[in-house]
Amino acid sequence: MTHAIEVHDLTKNYSSSGSGELAVDQINFTVEQGEIFGFLGPNGAGKSTTQRMLTTLLTPTEGQILILGHDLADDAYPAKRQIGLVPEESNVYTELTAWDNLMFTGRLYRMSKTDRGIRAEELLRDFGLWEKKDVKAEEFSKGMKRRLSIAMAIIHKPALLFLDEPTPGLDVQSARTIQKLIRQLSSEGTTVFMTTHQIEEANQLCDRVAIISHGKIAAIDTPEKLKQTFQQVQSVEISFTLSPNGLEEKLATLPEVSTVLKIGDKWRLYTESPPALLPHLIKFTEIENLDIVSLNTLAPSLEDVFLQITGQQIGSVSEEPSSKKRV
Amino acid sequence: MKNFWTRTIDELSQAWIVTLKDIKVYYLRPGMIMFGFLMPFFMFFSFSVKREMAAGDGMARLLALTIFFTAAAAGPFIIPTERRLGTYDRLLAAPMSLLTLLAGKIAVGAFFAIVVSFIAVIIGIFFLNASIAQPALMIAGIVIGSFTFSAMGLIFGSIPTRNPGDVQMPSTLIRWVLLFVSGVFVPLSEMSTIARGISYLSPLTYAQDLMNHAVLGTGELALWLNLSVLFLSGVIFLLPSIKLHKRGRVLGY
Repeated sequence: MTHAIEVHDLTKNYSSSGSGELAVDQINFTVEQGEIFGFLGPNGAGKSTTQRMLTTLLTPTEGQILILGHDLADDAYPAKRQIGLVPEESNVYTELTAWDNLMFTGRLYRMSKTDRGIRAEELLRDFGLWEKKDVKAEEFSKGMKRRLSIAMAIIHKPALLFLDEPTPGLDVQSARTIQKLIRQLSSEGTTVFMTTHQIEEANQLCDRVAIISHGKIAAIDTPEKLKQTFQQVQSVEISFTLSPNGLEEKLATLPEVSTVLKIGDKWRLYTESPPALLPHLIKFTEIENLDIVSLNTLAPSLEDVFLQITGQQIGSVSEEPSSKKRV
Repeated sequence: MKNFWTRTIDELSQAWIVTLKDIKVYYLRPGMIMFGFLMPFFMFFSFSVKREMAAGDGMARLLALTIFFTAAAAGPFIIPTERRLGTYDRLLAAPMSLLTLLAGKIAVGAFFAIVVSFIAVIIGIFFLNASIAQPALMIAGIVIGSFTFSAMGLIFGSIPTRNPGDVQMPSTLIRWVLLFVSGVFVPLSEMSTIARGISYLSPLTYAQDLMNHAVLGTGELALWLNLSVLFLSGVIFLLPSIKLHKRGRVLGY
């Protein structure tokens, strides 16, 4: 079966002389049809640049992109007909009503009047916007604009949907509506390519993720396989009735602990071996006369994997080497 | 061959859809009203005050000014605004060629100029008491001139930027330069040889002379020359727009 996306040696250099740092550096990957594919990376890693090249908005410096078997360099037209794009900022026409926004997009994709009417009603009802169909989008909340923006991107039932940061800044209800929609689209056979900072969202939604760092693909696999690869970022999470001064420093001195992170009223101790750490930790609580409220061992999260791969220290955004450190 | 025609019809239809959408969204925006509607009238009246001018002369000048300023106002305003709001990406990602998108955008400015020109015609007939020697030629001139100057405005709109202010300044500056070297305020017949030579470089000169033919029934240049230069200028103006758009795609705008 044809790949939904096939990328070969894709490179982007914004510098006109070609001497600047590469925003995207010879990346290669494929996305299968029907997959939800997450594209993760820190700010400036090359996520949006890659997505803009895949959606024809940006011309690559080098490399080849095949969308549903169509080479974008030869003729982007057949590929464009089959893709939908939801950019990070909801790009609806605020001067138009929700209905007019959908009609405009439907016309742009050459849908018949009947088809776009039926589809627009279906989408507006599904997205909870039917009652507001004749209201100008300028009166919509951020979440409503986001939903309308997605509706506009899928009115023509694209085979491949690009989503750039689909949920940040939205209330929980809007975010869940959008996540449910992404799953539904995937179950109907739509391929979804999403760039996101929301690592837990990618963990829950994506069949596979790619992590891009400094313009290169650093890892690409299913979330669970990636987590298995990074067992050294396992952790023990513990909370006490009291947290006396200097507790962080003391926890950091325990054997087997690589990093200490305070999360709310809990302490997360990163270790390569939770079983080896636990006896030391119990002994420590007895010596310090601390009462334990809860104690859990945690497998690496996708966020831990992400931080390891992108070279960022757990609990920070700096690029210091991973060493025994209190955060 | 069937595919070619289907695709051509699709593209023309999409250009028209873009035009209709822009008409709905932008015609009543303050930027369009200020730079596209009010400016030519302000300029005409400020240059006409206390000047002896026949009614027909006044109307021909008002028409040339209106076509020039109004048509060229759309591109520099709409495209950078859409780039800033992200809505231009929606158009660039849609299944249509760049030429189709640009054709749609040119029509937006052209239709705006045609509508405003007819307001100028009404002012000319009812307030300046002017008569029109060749109404059909006037309509043809308004239509051709509007498309040409809208294509000129598109060049500025194609500059890779998301800030309309970055575009308004050079577009206004160049339009003023063209205005003063053309035969709008100083007739060609009264210009020195050098000034006249420079004026031939401006398409506005030909639009003004065409309006003189249409309204007064006489002009300095041959009618066919005016029409040909305006038409060809419109086509040639598309080339830098296409090049600038391609540059924008390389730079990420």
